[in-house]
Amino acid sequence: MELLDRYLQAVKKHLPSRRQDDIIAELRANMESQLEDKEAELGRPLTATEAGDWLKQMGAPMMVAARYQPQQYLIGPAIFPIYLYVLRRVIVLAVIVYSAVVAVVIPLTAPSGAALLASALRIPGILITTAVWVTAVFAAVEFFATHYPGKCPPIDGLFGAWSPSTLPPVEKTTPTGRKPRSFAQAVAEIVFGLFFLGWLLLIPRHLFLIMGPGAFYWDASPFQFANVWTTIFWWAVVLSLVQLVWRCVDLVRGTWQQSARAQRMTIQAISLVPLGLLLSLPGRLYVTLKHPALDQLQYGSTLDTINKNIHLGVLFICAIVVLQLAFDIGKIALDAYRKGAAVQ
Amino acid sequence: MTLAENLFENLRLELRRGCLTLAVLVELRQEHYGYTLRKDLAESGLAIDESTLYPLLRRLESQGLLVSEWREEEKRNKRFYRLSSDGEQMLGQLLEEWNSINASISAIINRGQ
Repeated sequence: MELLDRYLQAVKKHLPSRRQDDIIAELRANMESQLEDKEAELGRPLTATEAGDWLKQMGAPMMVAARYQPQQYLIGPAIFPIYLYVLRRVIVLAVIVYSAVVAVVIPLTAPSGAALLASALRIPGILITTAVWVTAVFAAVEFFATHYPGKCPPIDGLFGAWSPSTLPPVEKTTPTGRKPRSFAQAVAEIVFGLFFLGWLLLIPRHLFLIMGPGAFYWDASPFQFANVWTTIFWWAVVLSLVQLVWRCVDLVRGTWQQSARAQRMTIQAISLVPLGLLLSLPGRLYVTLKHPALDQLQYGSTLDTINKNIHLGVLFICAIVVLQLAFDIGKIALDAYRKGAAVQ
Repeated sequence: MTLAENLFENLRLELRRGCLTLAVLVELRQEHYGYTLRKDLAESGLAIDESTLYPLLRRLESQGLLVSEWREEEKRNKRFYRLSSDGEQMLGQLLEEWNSINASISAIINRGQ
């Protein structure tokens, strides 16, 4: 039957060359026996349509041939969950490292908004490259585990050191009923924190980043910022770094879902230092005149007003921070009291 | 195919997969070639696609559970399979397991009724 020959020829093309003749000979013998039975049942040879239907029922040649191949996976089900876990972690790490490099390098080399935007647009490419490398490594592990099972340590062995005592403590549910922070939220906070740090480091050279168009008027004005702002600037950088490191540690330890109250309180407490510095500044001279000898007479009273307003602003911010801190401490005390009452 | 039908089909295939291997091993206590084995299984109510059965025979042979030989029958060369000695041993263990699972499932079903 010509159609059967054509079918077997098509199957053969998709079989491994070493075994194709043997498989095709067996398949032919089985199919010819089946054909004989069908024809004996009908009492006549199959018509072209019937033969076509019968072969169609057998399946597409490529699919039939595929059944003779060993099951192959790029990354098999045994290591797939580990792959997914590692991929997630490595991608996060890549974004964090990249953002950290950008936050440090751009302000030092080519500090501009365009450079920052170009760096942000490079992130998708970095994610894809990272994913490809992780996938390639796991595909290699899968290949060696499948082809050299005796020489490759079992996947289960990777967790040999696992012990129930190393499990993290049960996460506390938030009493307010709010959802705990998601992994994506924790990562986004770190990435945006890094970009904020980059933006912060650009400010000394590009004042417009914080003052907008007012920066140009400021440059043209007879006023200048006092040296104390340089100290405050570095305090802001330190605070931002502390927060970032804390968030990264939380992410690495897998504790990002826990309440950020301790973190917030620490940052608030540290921020009281630069605020205190500003409040105790001798003469409250936050802004000075570029040329005091020339401009004192004309701009002296304006300068006083500016410094008084800045002082009031700092005082107001300081009051908010102190109130927030007191509120958080009060909440901790209340929670502790409620817990103690519940135990009794 | 609806979602429920698709789910049933997947679960049915999963359930049948192991059973088919066991049925093939049992049938091959007597020598068969692919087509007659398929016919026998179908007559016993266990229909199986050619594209599933023939590769399965090869896999079981490569695992040492079957032995095969090419022989002429009715003027045609055919590959005949039968259980190897390792296969007989394995079949004994699998049947024991099958009977145990069967008894457990029956007991669970009866308890639920």
